[in-house]
This record gives sequence, structure tokens and C-alpha cells, in this order.
Amino acid sequence: MLAQQIVNGFTLGSTYALIAIGYTLVLGVLKKLNLAHGELFMAGAFTGIGAASLGAPLLVSLLAGFVAAGLIAVAIERTCFYPLRHANFLSPMLSTIAFGLFLQGLATQIFGSDPSRFPVSGASFQIQFATLSISAIHIVILATAFGLMIGIDLLVNRTRWGIAVRAASDDAETAAQQGMSVSALTMTTFLVSGALAGAAGVLTTLVYSQVNPFIGIRQGLIGMVAMVIGGLGNLRGAMIGGLAIGLIETMNDAYFTAGYRDFVIFFIFFVFLVFRPQGLFPVRQER
Amino acid sequence: MKITRRTAVVGGLSTTLIGSGRLLLHADSAVAQKVEGAEIKIGVVVPVTGPAADVGKREAIGAQAAVDVINAKGGADGRPLKLYFADEGSNPQEAISAVRKVAGDDNVLVIVGPHYSSTAEATFPLGNRLKIVQVAVASSKPGVAKANRPYAFRNTLTEDKIADAVVKAAQGRYGLKRVAIISDTKDAVARSLGMAVLPAALQANNIEIVTGKDPVTFQTGDAQFTAQVTRLKSLTPDAIALGAVGPDALNIILESRKQGMSQPFLGTAPLMEGNLPERGGKAVDGTLAGSIWDVVLNDAGSIAFKDAYAVRAKTMYPGAFTQVPDYYPANAYDAVFMIRDAIVQGGVQNRPDTLELDRDRIKDYFSKMRDFRGIASRGFNEDGDGIKDVIVMEAKNGHWQPIIAA
Repeated sequence: MLAQQIVNGFTLGSTYALIAIGYTLVLGVLKKLNLAHGELFMAGAFTGIGAASLGAPLLVSLLAGFVAAGLIAVAIERTCFYPLRHANFLSPMLSTIAFGLFLQGLATQIFGSDPSRFPVSGASFQIQFATLSISAIHIVILATAFGLMIGIDLLVNRTRWGIAVRAASDDAETAAQQGMSVSALTMTTFLVSGALAGAAGVLTTLVYSQVNPFIGIRQGLIGMVAMVIGGLGNLRGAMIGGLAIGLIETMNDAYFTAGYRDFVIFFIFFVFLVFRPQGLFPVRQER
Repeated sequence: MKITRRTAVVGGLSTTLIGSGRLLLHADSAVAQKVEGAEIKIGVVVPVTGPAADVGKREAIGAQAAVDVINAKGGADGRPLKLYFADEGSNPQEAISAVRKVAGDDNVLVIVGPHYSSTAEATFPLGNRLKIVQVAVASSKPGVAKANRPYAFRNTLTEDKIADAVVKAAQGRYGLKRVAIISDTKDAVARSLGMAVLPAALQANNIEIVTGKDPVTFQTGDAQFTAQVTRLKSLTPDAIALGAVGPDALNIILESRKQGMSQPFLGTAPLMEGNLPERGGKAVDGTLAGSIWDVVLNDAGSIAFKDAYAVRAKTMYPGAFTQVPDYYPANAYDAVFMIRDAIVQGGVQNRPDTLELDRDRIKDYFSKMRDFRGIASRGFNEDGDGIKDVIVMEAKNGHWQPIIAA
């Protein structure tokens, strides 16, 4: 059973990692805290379900969730951050809470408060290794999640765009003098961040079946925990943090009791905040 | 003093009249009073926002459907009923504000609601302080009304009674010897089901519980159940008992099928939430649950309810989420008819100066109501819980189908 639970943990953790990377892009790199990030996960999931309900194949549903959540993230940047760029840091943060509540209300009106799910598909293909069984959908999720993680890592660390984003984050004024459009860089960072959350939303509903308008609250918090454990601003750290939380959660549910799950996770969060706020992989080690 | 026949007659008459007057004034009067006022105010405290918004809307429609039927036939003693709605927001804090609003601002006689046991645990004590009856239409955690006598009533059947009927049916159907339990640790009803009600029902029917005293656990609304199902699978039970509400149960069953399990599942009324057979298809066939009413029933009362509900659903909360009534709106529908009976037969006067007295009269009437004939209700027992018939249902071909009426 242990090997199966480790696979379960990695699959769950890979979706948490995608959320954490989105968080860390905006908070760690841009120094902006988007508290509606969990709702982007929810919006992506619902968009994917909507597309699948209309008969779209899996890849199209995934892309729909990816794009929709990315665009909503840009809307958040344009409405909650850009107009308040000179205000106290609390103002845009509180605005994102309001935006998140708006998204929850909108989803409730459109999809209802009862959980929605992907249309039931036929029997899924299973790969069997002794007592270990991995379904095709698990492989799709792991492959997509790890593909996205590696892609984002390369994008931020190896491309001109990534270098520009990090430069604008360090010193926006100098970056602007160098001819970079800080506004455009910020928007694209939000776009990528939201798209990752949206992809995580679609992947989660694919394997775990259900989503309701309030699911983003916990997913957002878990993403934040993963980000802090991994190290603020460190994309690879966020990946490892997400995978670690997925494994911890799975082992807790399998061998302990689900009632203590959040206690365990948020206790770890607390310990990191107090004793190692820089996380496992502080950002300076990367640069 | 010489007592003549005349003085004796006058004295006797006076005593009778005074006595009658006292009786008329007494709260426990069995003599029907003339109902006054332009309208009879009834509060409805259900969730129309938050996680339980859909089911709360269905409850609101169910209550309004009953008012429509009653008012079309002349109301209660010639006075129309009017509902005063307040959103309990799916949480205890808002539920308390909602109860205060309808009781204190709207001056309603009685309240239909709240929804969850967790909200009822907060609002029932308040009802006792305000001296106003609440009739919950979904709460079914054992002991909640009993702990809040005398103003707390629940027109629902507690899960222990349903569980016993379902376990017996499952034993007959599948010959169960070893059963695993998976339990919610968050939702009040589902937790009490998994931790107490189902273990007791299984033990009472001599079935071994392979999860022992510690069932496999999860939390309401969890997005994934892989770890739990992997553990259930390793225990190789004959069946799995679900301390879960329908949407979570559906995910547990679907995950178990993904992991290659073929065992049947069983649960009680919360399993009936969320269209489990319609959403689960073949994967959930053979799942057993218990309820007190379902939309598949077609007796005259159920048809009248479904017709009235369909009309109201189009105007109140139109949409796919409210189209099909489940047993919660049926409970709300019956609750309003119970209130109508309490008003007409319990001596309610419906005057501003008799508000407190009238609220007590409804409480007293409900305390003795044992022979009500609703679509899914028979009255209340001494604990304030509903008296109802249990129907064991089986998920089959995309629908719940009744198999036993116990």
C-alpha cells in the first residue's frame, strides 16, 4: 500500500506545486500578493468542465481552463493592482479578496453551489506494477504538471522575458529606463501565474472529479504553504514544497486521520514562518 | 344563604362562563380561536448563499409551494400565509442573525429552518431564549432537538433509524459479514454517521467492522480520496459504509472503481443529496441509501407537491440546480402544512398582543402532534424529531429506486 500511497501523494502534490509556482511568480518575483489565486484555480476548473460538457476533448478543456484563468489573472492585475500601484500594500491585497469573493459568487450563480464534475468518462486505462496501479489519467496529470513546471522554470530562468521580469522586480525604475515595459511584464507574469492555477484546476477535477465554487479557498492556502516551505520566489522550491505537501497530506489520510490533516499542514507552515521564513531553498541560492 | 334553584342556575352559568373565559385565555386551550390579522407571518431561515445555497433554495421553493397550495384553498382559517425569508448563509453566525431578524423584526409566529445540524446547534438555543419554534428540515444528527427542548423541532428522521433499515436491507441483498467504514470528520451529520450511527447499526446486525474503532477518514468537500480508497481496498471488505454526504460519497465510489474495487456501498439520507445515481452512472449501481421521500414517488400528495414545486421553481430560483425537488423541500412543504394545522387547531389568534402566546400555542401543538398526514411526515416524537416512514433506496440505472418501505 505504501508505494501506491507515494504515487497518490505525488499526483496530488503536483497540482499543489502548480498553484504554488503561480503564487511564487506573483509574490516572490513581483512582490505582489494575489489572494484570489485560489479562485483562479476554481475558475480554471469550471472552465474546463464547461468546455468538456460542450463536448471538447481533454486537451481543449485543459487549454480552455489554462487560458481563461490566465485572462482572469490579468483582469485582477488591471483592476486590483495597477490602479492601486501607489497605494499602501494592503489596498491591492484587500482588493484581491473582494475579487475572489466576486468570482465565488459568479461561479455559484452559473454552476450552482453543489459540486460540479467532469462528464463521467469510460473505464480508464490502468498500468499495473505488482500491487501498484497507475491510471492513464494519473500519468497525464503527472506529465502535464511536470511539463508545465519545467517549462515555467526555463521561461523564468533561461529566457529574455524571464530575465526582464526579474529585473523589473528588482528595480522597476531602472528596468523602465532600459526600455522595458514594466506594465506589460507585470501583466504577462499574472497571465502565466493564472494559467498555471487554471491548469491545476482542470487537472485536479480530471482525477479527483469534483469542484465547487469554494474549493479555491483551501487550494489557495495550500499553495501559499507550499510556496513558503519551498522558499519565497524560488520556483523549484515551490515545486518541491507542493510535492511535499501532497505527500504529507496523503500519508496523513492513509495512516492517521483526516481530521488532523490541516492541523499538521498548518503547523508545518507555522514552524517554517517562525524558524525558517526563507524556506527550504532561499531565493539567493538560486541567483 | 338560601340557595334557590334560580341562584344555583345563575351561579352555575357564571362559573361555566368564567371557566370558559379562562380556558379561552389559556395557552393550552384546545378550543379553536378565530384567527385574525391581514396575514399570518412565517419565517423561513434557509441558506441561499454559501455551500448549501442550492439545497437551501429548493427548501425555500418547497415552503413557498405549500403556501401557494394553502392560500389557494383559503389560507389558514381564511387568513393568507406569508413567508418572510432570511438567508442563513450556510453558516451558524449568519443563521443566528437570520433567526433574530425574522423573530424580532418581522415578528413571525414560527420559523421553518435552519438547514444543517451545525447551524441548528447554534440557532436552537437562541429559539429557546426568544421562545419561538424552529422546524429544521434537513438537520438529522441524533440528539440536536432533544438537547434544545421545548422550542426546537426537526421535521426530519434521525439517521440512526434510517441506518438500521439500510443495514438490514444490505445484509439481505449482499449477505454482508465484513464492512469497512469511511467517515467525514467535518460535517456534523456525516461525522456522527461514520463515527457512531453506522457502527452501532452494523454491530446491532452482527456485522464485523474491519476498520475497527477508527474508520478511514476524510473532510467534507475534499478534492481527492485516493489515499482513503487505497486503504479501504487493502482491507478487502464485503461492502463500504459511508458516513458521507452525496457529493463526497460519489467521489469515493468513483475513486474506488478507478482503483479496481467492485464492492457495494451503503449509507443513509445524506447520500441522497447531489443526484448520486444520475452523476455516477453504472459505477454507483447497487449503492443503498435510506430516505423519507424521493421524487420518484407518485402518490397523490407527492404529485400535488411536485406540481406546486414546479410552478414556484420557475419564478423563485429558476435554473438546473433547483429544478428537481429532493426530500429537503418535501420536508419544508410538510412543515408549512404542519404550521397551518397548528395555527387553525392550536388556537392561534395572530394578534400583535398575542404573539408570544401564539408562539407557545404552536410549540404546544407540535409537542403533541403524532398523527399528521403529510407527504413524508407523521408528526413529532417526544424529542422534537420527526416521525416518518423509512424508504430504502437503491441506485439503479441512473436513478434512486425504492426497494423497501419500512
